Amino acid sequence: MMKYIRYCILVIGAGIAVMPFLWLLSTSFKGAEELFAYPPAIIPSVIVWENYSGLWNAVPLGIYFINTIVVTIISVVLNVLLSSLAGFALARQHFKYKQTVFYVIVASLLIPKEVIILPLYTIVLKMHLADSLAGVIIPFVVDGMGIFMMRQAFLSIPKEIEEAGIIDGASPFVLWWNVMLPMTKPMMATLTIFTFIASWGDFLWPLVVLKSPEHFTLQVGLSYLMGTFVDNFRYVAAGGILSIIPVVIVFIFMQKYFERGLFAGSGK
Amino acid sequence: MNKLSPYIFLSPALFLLSLFIIVPMLEVVYFSFMRYSFFGTSEFIGFGNYTRLFADSNFWWTLFNSLLYVLVTPVLMVVSLIFALSIRNSMRSAKVLRLFFFLPVITPIVVVGIMWKWIFTEESGLFNYILSLIGVGNVPWLTNYPTNVVSVMILTVWRGFGYYMMILLAGMALIPKEIEEAGILDGANPFQQVIHIILPNLKPTLLFIFVVSSSSAIKLFTELYVLIPGVPMNNKTLVAYLYRQSFERFDFGYGSALAVVIFVITSVFSYANIKMMERQ
Repeated sequence: MMKYIRYCILVIGAGIAVMPFLWLLSTSFKGAEELFAYPPAIIPSVIVWENYSGLWNAVPLGIYFINTIVVTIISVVLNVLLSSLAGFALARQHFKYKQTVFYVIVASLLIPKEVIILPLYTIVLKMHLADSLAGVIIPFVVDGMGIFMMRQAFLSIPKEIEEAGIIDGASPFVLWWNVMLPMTKPMMATLTIFTFIASWGDFLWPLVVLKSPEHFTLQVGLSYLMGTFVDNFRYVAAGGILSIIPVVIVFIFMQKYFERGLFAGSGK
Repeated sequence: MNKLSPYIFLSPALFLLSLFIIVPMLEVVYFSFMRYSFFGTSEFIGFGNYTRLFADSNFWWTLFNSLLYVLVTPVLMVVSLIFALSIRNSMRSAKVLRLFFFLPVITPIVVVGIMWKWIFTEESGLFNYILSLIGVGNVPWLTNYPTNVVSVMILTVWRGFGYYMMILLAGMALIPKEIEEAGILDGANPFQQVIHIILPNLKPTLLFIFVVSSSSAIKLFTELYVLIPGVPMNNKTLVAYLYRQSFERFDFGYGSALAVVIFVITSVFSYANIKMMERQ
């Protein structure tokens, strides 16, 4: 009995989670006259592909895609690399100002992005990074959370492995790159999927930084499209569907690492 | 060389965190005591921006709305708890099901806004159609205050419950098996098990969710930006007001005072979070 109740709850939950996606998908295939039909057509009576081609002609969608891919890949690589460098030093090395460094990282975690966005923009302006992909990527490319995640991964490596490396005469860099980094692969995968999702969908900061359409990421481009195409929601729907396909595909392959990250970060 | 290496390893990350997070925060505090706008010169005015802020009705309205959004927290906790309890014993077989629950979590906020805008649209929206089937008239989901607050709350719950469900599952996995088995042996029914065994043991996780969800509710902005961009400021939140003062009015000093207030409010939650982590 209990089992069936639970089963029902889960099916309803999954339905609620997926329904808006199906509705968007359905909208993206509707013709102009069916868009405002009442009662709404759940499944379009005719599948209209013109929304996708129309969208492609209306905005430089290919450029948005390339910009988003560039931003996402560089953000992931830099975040994993720099976090693992810092995490290694914090977990495995002894130095004088460790406590101070810790405080700086914790402080950075306490400061909401929203609060500092204005002075940050003036800094980016002064560095001539405004309206560029570099300006989108660099300011938030490392975050304290990633450093702490990598530190955790390095802390869990047995001492013997480090000692064997030191006996073999490995330099700190070799110890990090050749000996220990390969052992943190699961955590690097977790950090990768988290950073991927965050950069792919990032909106507020790119919106502030980017001014010219040839530099827009998908999300910024879509939000402008939403502002200008109020009468043609079909294009916006098509753009929304296209922009989530990559993140869903990547997620399906890395779901295990995403879940592992949530398990680790739950205040254990 | 070996003595220097930790500093070399740390310097790129520390440099970026300092330059792009710590320094701007210090600047925000500094600007908040200045009359400083994009167009004019700057001068020190003490607490001038703060006294202006506390006399500004838009500030109180947006503060009220931001606090109002904290109400999503108990809803999110109950909803995600129900799903976590339902899914926990079938974790292994439920990977696809969990994928469905995670879809809202991984979807970019702009796309979430697009979806829900279309669902909430008054004339031909899905929501009002479903409501009309059970006899409810046209609800102005996006234009009317405080109905549009409820709409943003619905969006927030939909987007967050899969995430918090997973956090709760992690918390449940930490409950010792013996305690639960003892409860079953004592003849506790499933409902009693939840009340007397699972919930008390889940307290740290529930507190964690409370803090995380509440502080993100206080900072709510992009959800409004995409779902209800055109509504008057007194329907919006603190960060929305900050965004307008900074990037539309270019009133940097005033915006900074507002930013400091937001920082103080979120710090209360962050402080609670750190205290909790220390205790564990």
